[in-house]
Amino acid sequence: MTEPVLTIKDLSVVLSRDGRANRVLDGISFDVAPGEIIALVGESGSGKSTIGLTLQGLLPKESEPKISGSVLLDGVEIVGAKPGVLRAARRQLVRAVSQDPMGSLNPTMTIGRQMRESGVGDIVDWLGRTGLPDPERIADSFPHRLSGGQRQRVLIAMSMMTGPKLLIADEPTTALDVTIQAQILDLLRKLAREQQTAILFVTHDLSVAASLADRVLVLYAGRVAEIGGVRDVIRNPAHPYSAGLLSARFDFTSDRLRPLPTLPVERSRPRDATNACAYAHRCPIVQEDCTTIRPALRTVGNHSGAAACLHAEQTPAATDTSRTRPLWPESVVQRSAVALELFQISKGFATGAKNFWGVRAPRPVLKSVDLTIRQGECVALVGESGSGKSTILRIAAGLLKPDSGDVSRVDKIAPQVVFQDAVAALTPWLSVGEQIGERLRPLGLSAEESRRRVAEAMELVGLDVGLMQALPSELSGGQCQRAVVARAVVVPPKLLLCDEPISAMDVSLAATTLNLLGDLRRRFGMAMLFVTHDLAAARIIADRIAVLQHGELVEDGDPDALIAAPKAAYTRALIAAMPSLHTELAQ
Amino acid sequence: MLPYLAKRSVSLVVVLLAMSFIVFCLQSIIPADPARAIAGPTAPAATVEVVRQQLGLDDPMLVQYGRFLSNLVHGDLGTSVRTRQPIAEDVRKYLPASAELALVALVFGIALAGLLALVQNTMQNSGWVKLAIVAAGSTPIFLSTLLLVYFLWFRLGWLPGAGRLSIRRFSGPTGFNLLDGFLVGRPEVSLDALLHLILPALALALPIAVAVGRSLNGALHDVMKQTYIRTGRGKGLSETAIVLRHGLRNAASAPLAMIGLQVGLLFGNLLIVERVFSWPGLGLYTVQAFATSDLPAVLGVSLVFGTFYILINIVVEVSQSLADPRIGL
Repeated sequence: MTEPVLTIKDLSVVLSRDGRANRVLDGISFDVAPGEIIALVGESGSGKSTIGLTLQGLLPKESEPKISGSVLLDGVEIVGAKPGVLRAARRQLVRAVSQDPMGSLNPTMTIGRQMRESGVGDIVDWLGRTGLPDPERIADSFPHRLSGGQRQRVLIAMSMMTGPKLLIADEPTTALDVTIQAQILDLLRKLAREQQTAILFVTHDLSVAASLADRVLVLYAGRVAEIGGVRDVIRNPAHPYSAGLLSARFDFTSDRLRPLPTLPVERSRPRDATNACAYAHRCPIVQEDCTTIRPALRTVGNHSGAAACLHAEQTPAATDTSRTRPLWPESVVQRSAVALELFQISKGFATGAKNFWGVRAPRPVLKSVDLTIRQGECVALVGESGSGKSTILRIAAGLLKPDSGDVSRVDKIAPQVVFQDAVAALTPWLSVGEQIGERLRPLGLSAEESRRRVAEAMELVGLDVGLMQALPSELSGGQCQRAVVARAVVVPPKLLLCDEPISAMDVSLAATTLNLLGDLRRRFGMAMLFVTHDLAAARIIADRIAVLQHGELVEDGDPDALIAAPKAAYTRALIAAMPSLHTELAQ
Repeated sequence: MLPYLAKRSVSLVVVLLAMSFIVFCLQSIIPADPARAIAGPTAPAATVEVVRQQLGLDDPMLVQYGRFLSNLVHGDLGTSVRTRQPIAEDVRKYLPASAELALVALVFGIALAGLLALVQNTMQNSGWVKLAIVAAGSTPIFLSTLLLVYFLWFRLGWLPGAGRLSIRRFSGPTGFNLLDGFLVGRPEVSLDALLHLILPALALALPIAVAVGRSLNGALHDVMKQTYIRTGRGKGLSETAIVLRHGLRNAASAPLAMIGLQVGLLFGNLLIVERVFSWPGLGLYTVQAFATSDLPAVLGVSLVFGTFYILINIVVEVSQSLADPRIGL
């Protein structure tokens, strides 16, 4: 066997936030062979990104990181290394591609200069190898001229041109369209094989892991829950957490007549799990010894890898448990009553080339769009970045005026909007309760009455009522999204508008949010416009899917019919690009 | 770039028109009488009336303003009541001294601002630096000027505290003594001019340094949290290279705008500083014009300052767009 390029032994990292120490990584050990692709999978907060930052020696100073254990990268010890050694390692051994291609390039420096800074190599050749058209022109451009996918290719070229031993790819495709995502994954795989570069691929999506990685490492609460061949773990998970993650992910085959299966919601994590399994409080097969013994990573019968579970042999197979869950109630769509009607909507933005007087030419974003949503109906609007789907949502919400065409809404209550970035959608200095209660103000309720209504709304969305006085910064991302939803439904509108509400969430949280929205819309008979680039999510939540391309509706129909027999070429491309566990396993 | 400059030139003319109109109107409101000032306090009323007619002060306001504008177009700012010279002539005489002082003060201010921001960024939470900034920022300019003069000139005698040069009678081709010394082959004059410049320029630079420095520090603080800074670190660049190459330029926009604002304040401060240091520039000229109700001179100088303010802000906007390619002109 060849010498591993990365050996991590008993790595622990403690980070402080607001003076409170938090053990983010807890006794991690694993090896990576040269050229191997290993996926790090886990929920938000499981510590997967921290591993990458630790390897680069880039943990934020303000969180006073305390690192113990050993990280041997191509023979160089990273833990406790001097800044000069770490810099040299970053220059030659380990590179990273982040999940934010839009923000990862310096906006005031040309691509060429930023690449030259990275190391020696033929810049134009490398840009071309990542599939970028006209690499000379791109080398001379500034980043804001490039799309997100192009920037991610630039970042990959920038990292790979120095021939690193290890590439850390931290969710490199989450911010990109599905069609681009598949291309970027292919590119990473190709370059890693050519250069014998090992990849640590951080993701929360098991199907993405399956399509790329050789091995998968499942992280939970900073500990390794399970490690093994990616197909083995997916077919036959040994840790209940891996099994839970697998059953929580949804695709084109998920049952859309029932709520999605989800992992038990994480309540308060036990403070001290030194002598316990960190997953015990959520585990469906928890037993007495789980809270007194910390399970070590051990070989299991399920596959050739290892899992940290005392009762691995009892882990339920990740089969569909749909029959045990109740069906959604019957459809509440009122055929006759309209909740929103868009008639021949056109909209352009002044983003074209400047003329002599510095006035920009308008670029059409929507070209005569007709869309009707009936009361109680959920329509998913699917399309890639720049197709105009968010513009439609803004026009429907009354936040933007169309250049021409008519918008008619029946409701006196303004439609409510749930945005993608829930943290940014909450005012940082107002408590959660105040923000939810704000919408009750026109009703002129007594203080006691509005407090009761706020509490009701919070309970409805599954938000602990005790958090009423909390500020948004004290909440997790998932809790923030629940608060936003509670604010939207405290006075239920006839129309709820959702702008990519789940695209930044991990699998389990996304499924929970879809269930919540599905429940609320049925409970209140709300119509819903659900904007997404995720066709699988659209299929699950919506009664009807409308596909938008270049500002025009190209297809519109029942979700299953549309996915089974897509008419537009663009819809076919979207479907083909969706990663799916089933197709991966079939190969 | 060309349409931008065209638009800016138009707005320059509009602003100058408005400014000239406002200052012109002030003449009729302020109860100081230029005719009386020229004729002298003891002259009989008839003499004052003759002077008034000579100056055209009896004509309707609009006629007076029209006359003033047409003169302006021909480079005639009127005649100073006090020096009895054409104001344009006076401005030409005193402008170089003020321009030299203002420019050196700007350079000092920007350099100090950069230093301040870098020190603050490398020494997070340093109480002493913060205290020094608050102290410097809260000291009024007349006090800081007096303190500088008192300690560095009067008590210690390290630097000269009055005038532009130690020698009398020196004139060079540009009027900028710092340059002229070299141009006429007398570098010792340039050195002398520099020594005389340090104290007044420092007094003028302090408020600029504090305002621009805080703005730069704030912007830099935000920029250093951006993902592309982490990309830079991930490439193995040194921290110095990251701050200088990736940080400063991205943080430049807000402090540049602040420089533009500070230039307006700088012109006002020139009056105080030139008065304290007996600096023979436009500031001192204006102070004396105020003291003698020389309104035509005040009006002329205001127009000159206004023009420079707008020109400098055009330079600021151009540099903002040069620093950040996303800002188009």
